[in-house]
Amino acid sequence: MKLSKPKLWLLTGACLAGALALGACSSMKAPATADVAVSQAAVENASGADGTEFAPVEMQAAREKLAAAKRALAAKDYKAASDYANQAQADAKLAQAKAGSAKAQAVSNTLQEDIRVLRSELERSGTK
Amino acid sequence: MQTPYLKVLLATAVLALGACASNPKTTSLLEQVRSDYAQAQSNPKVATYAALEMQSATEALAKAEAAAKQRESLETVDKLAYLTKQKIALANEVASRKSSEADIAGAAAVRDQVRLDQRTQEANQARMKAEEAERAAQAARNASAVATQQKNVAQAGEADTQRLAAEAMARNQQLEAQLSELAAKKTERGLIITLGDVLFSVDQARLNADGVRMVQRLAMVLQQNPKRVVLVEGFTDSTGTTQHNQELSERRATAVRDALLELGVARTQISVRGYGEAYPVAANDTATNRQLNRRVEIVLSDERGVVTAR
Repeated sequence: MKLSKPKLWLLTGACLAGALALGACSSMKAPATADVAVSQAAVENASGADGTEFAPVEMQAAREKLAAAKRALAAKDYKAASDYANQAQADAKLAQAKAGSAKAQAVSNTLQEDIRVLRSELERSGTK
Repeated sequence: MQTPYLKVLLATAVLALGACASNPKTTSLLEQVRSDYAQAQSNPKVATYAALEMQSATEALAKAEAAAKQRESLETVDKLAYLTKQKIALANEVASRKSSEADIAGAAAVRDQVRLDQRTQEANQARMKAEEAERAAQAARNASAVATQQKNVAQAGEADTQRLAAEAMARNQQLEAQLSELAAKKTERGLIITLGDVLFSVDQARLNADGVRMVQRLAMVLQQNPKRVVLVEGFTDSTGTTQHNQELSERRATAVRDALLELGVARTQISVRGYGEAYPVAANDTATNRQLNRRVEIVLSDERGVVTAR
């Protein structure tokens, strides 16, 4: 089949578009797998940083979404797997950050209390 | 061949154009995320401590807004909005943690300073206490020294007093012992020592050996008690003329004085008087009685040196 140059371009473009549309499924396999792996690591990190204790809601959400991502991956629904994985990752990161800020806040509070006690001691002993 | 491709392209373009032309989609979640975002942006802590996380949230929000603008499915918009929401929350938490950590660093420094102040204060108080104790100890030592001094003075005074009393007592005892050897009698006029006739040669004014011994003892007493003086009184019996008796009494008294002077007694300590036959101590009827009347009496003064004359 002999085609003119513009026609050839058009066909190529159409083919590319089609390939993109179709290939979206298969070409998303690798990134989705990577997303799930990253999420898995994020959930593990958050768990190791006491996320379960300090941010139970976020940790629960992260675990559930990670599980959903894995299921989607197994079902070759890479788009969904990627979406779930990204959400799980966001949740896990938030859980870890919450744990971190809660701990820092606790330490800060302890220190402030220490200072308050020390100051009152200082005042008491200073005025006696 | 051309038509189907063109149709596809056209449809795509129409969809794209339509998304642009129409009002952007929005969801309640996206609304909330916008509000969260505005709040986070106005939080200075987020700006200071979570710039990177906020940048990530900004990008996520842009994607969500773009999806909404392009009228993508509600599901897609909400998914992007959710990611944005979690990223904003993450930025907030990171800001909170870093802010707390900064507080901790500052608080640790403050606590160390307060502890240092406390140690300093404790040290100062300890030093002040030590100084106070030292002052108190010094005061106690001073008081003790003063007390010791006073005690010493008191003891010295007491010792002096005791010594003087003891000396006085010893002198008195010695005097009394010596006087008892001289057979002194206590009378209203004081102590009187009588040198009887037997101590003189008969009818003469010379002391015999016994008389001299008596006078020696008296001289010793007078030398040891220089404040005391003696009045030496001579007496006779009524035998013989009054003139003779007067002279004899005077001579005998003078003889005693001379003996005392010879023994080193001061002249000022001795007075002499002759009474002749006056003041007899017995009747002149028998020889024995007359011998009693022939006598020399020595009146010993008191400590003040006063002798009462007859």
